[in-house]
Amino acid sequence: MGIAFKTKTNPVPTFSGTGKRSVGFHTPTTPVDKILTLLSRYREASIALVAILLVIYFQIGSDSQFLTSQFMSVVLRDTGRLGLIAIAEVMLMITGEIDLSVSSVYSFAPYSMVLMANSLGVPLPLAAIISLSMGIAVGILNGVVTVRFRVPSLITTVGTLFLFQGIVVWINDSQPIVAPIQEPFNAIFGQNLFRPSDSLLSWHAVTAFTPFLWTLAAVLIIALVLNRTTFGLHTVATGSNIVGAREIGVRTDRIKIYNFMLAGGLAAFAGIINTVQFSSADPQAGSPFLTLQAIAAAVIGGTSLLGGSGTVIGALIGAFVVATLNNGLVMVGAQATVSDIYLGAAILAAMILNVQVNRLRARRRI
Amino acid sequence: MSHNTIPPLSAEAPVVLEMAHVSKSFGAVTALVDVSVKLRKGEVLALVGDNGAGKSTLIKVLSGYHKPDSGEITSKGKSIRFDSPRDARSEGIETVYQDLALIGDLSIYHNMFIGREYHKRMFGMKLLDNQKMRGMAEEYLATLGINIPNVNSTVDRLSGGQRQCVAVARSIYSSPSVLILDEPLAALGVRESAHVLGLVQKLRREREVSIILIVHNYSQIFEVCDRINFLHSGEIVLDVSTSDITEEELTRTVKSGLGRLMRPEELDIPAAVEP
Repeated sequence: MGIAFKTKTNPVPTFSGTGKRSVGFHTPTTPVDKILTLLSRYREASIALVAILLVIYFQIGSDSQFLTSQFMSVVLRDTGRLGLIAIAEVMLMITGEIDLSVSSVYSFAPYSMVLMANSLGVPLPLAAIISLSMGIAVGILNGVVTVRFRVPSLITTVGTLFLFQGIVVWINDSQPIVAPIQEPFNAIFGQNLFRPSDSLLSWHAVTAFTPFLWTLAAVLIIALVLNRTTFGLHTVATGSNIVGAREIGVRTDRIKIYNFMLAGGLAAFAGIINTVQFSSADPQAGSPFLTLQAIAAAVIGGTSLLGGSGTVIGALIGAFVVATLNNGLVMVGAQATVSDIYLGAAILAAMILNVQVNRLRARRRI
Repeated sequence: MSHNTIPPLSAEAPVVLEMAHVSKSFGAVTALVDVSVKLRKGEVLALVGDNGAGKSTLIKVLSGYHKPDSGEITSKGKSIRFDSPRDARSEGIETVYQDLALIGDLSIYHNMFIGREYHKRMFGMKLLDNQKMRGMAEEYLATLGINIPNVNSTVDRLSGGQRQCVAVARSIYSSPSVLILDEPLAALGVRESAHVLGLVQKLRREREVSIILIVHNYSQIFEVCDRINFLHSGEIVLDVSTSDITEEELTRTVKSGLGRLMRPEELDIPAAVEP
């Protein structure tokens, strides 16, 4: 019976018939093997599985209140905000760096935008472009200090975190300011026009999800850049083997600076969307917790902290998991204060799973 | 691979790469002192010397990785300054570094083409032409007789020998005018070493590519090289044609640690008697 089963599922009996594993590439045979292969080959798969299980759990636990358009709008808005910052961290983590200053840019850039619009009368779209450039400029500062002055990015960006958070709090004595509304800018960049009476296929329904849609677009573009362009190739090379990359002519310093710029720009963009959504620029909108949640999203999405590999699609799913935990736990009746406990436990569990699957992958050479 | 088939280096072969009075130090450590090296077209030059003699530094100056403190590099008659290995590569100087400079997380074919990728235009974007690079890498590795299971697999899954083969293949793929090989045989088995040496010998027979070779096995030097430069404490102390020195003399010279040529009459002096 056992032999018959083996010959049926395994066309090359020498692989498992003797109980020895062949050296080299292992062909998955049993269903368990196949699932493990899938999980380790597509790093996004394991986190996607976690996301699906969470959604099912919350959907059941909340008496089908989770998968409603109102609630999904909230979860996906959080996912969008977190996702933008998470993909910025992914690109930097691939190069072997990290940016802890993104939360300060997240506060600083939209605050400048609203100040420019309110006191100088700059049209919002132009003010947004200038603020975005400011975010990119912070990225240049982070990159140059890290690369040219050889300060580890962990320290560089803690410095710029306090610096820019300090500036934005100091500008107006830590007072939030009301953001102007200029259509269609606000509707495009995060203002929610959706009312329960609106049709799900209307423009108003789209505005309920704009932050997420922007993030989705950013994820798709950056996934393309990472996997299909020279810049992406050189980004991986920089983080995987920086000496070798330099020896072969990759401009590793520039690659790092460009990725810091990308992170600054994405953080500014996320901040602008957040400000538009609440029509208010809060100097304390971005707390370092936001950055840490984004890093958690990136890591549970399958990005290595050691550099050289990462996935922005995984980071987006990771951001969805974090946003789902944050909102869903409240939904199923847990107190708001306990959600961090679950989040912490979830991060640990996800990391243990991730590391173990990678070890399995290395051992089986799937 | 017989010696008879190797044409002697023509006396008129032009100098393709010249290093004149180059010095390089790292802080207090002096790596190269007033080093001059000439490489003629089609020549195979061996660089020998103890660990720390400056061989790798010399090579990295030529490959654009290090900038010399003083001195001049001349390529094909014109003075050049390399700001990065990228410049040296576009000048036709390819290097296989001791650490191979392979990117473990990238596929074999991406490693083969990194720094000179092929692109195609799609949606107005310059995207990597992975299909083309994959096909070309497969074809080229097969031509060289290098046995690689799958060019899609990442380099960190390859054995040491396979990695070395990929690095060597990458360096000769672009038909460079100068090829620098820093210990290309270090991780290779007997058969693979013979294979790489065979490649060097083939290039030498054609006398088109000039090669600088660092090898620790001296019999291999006499098999494939035209000339030997001996580097001692950052200085070139010996520049000799392989036909003017025997393997035993070379071994003795390097072993003695004296930094000068040991002639047969001195061979009874025990090695390493540095006062």
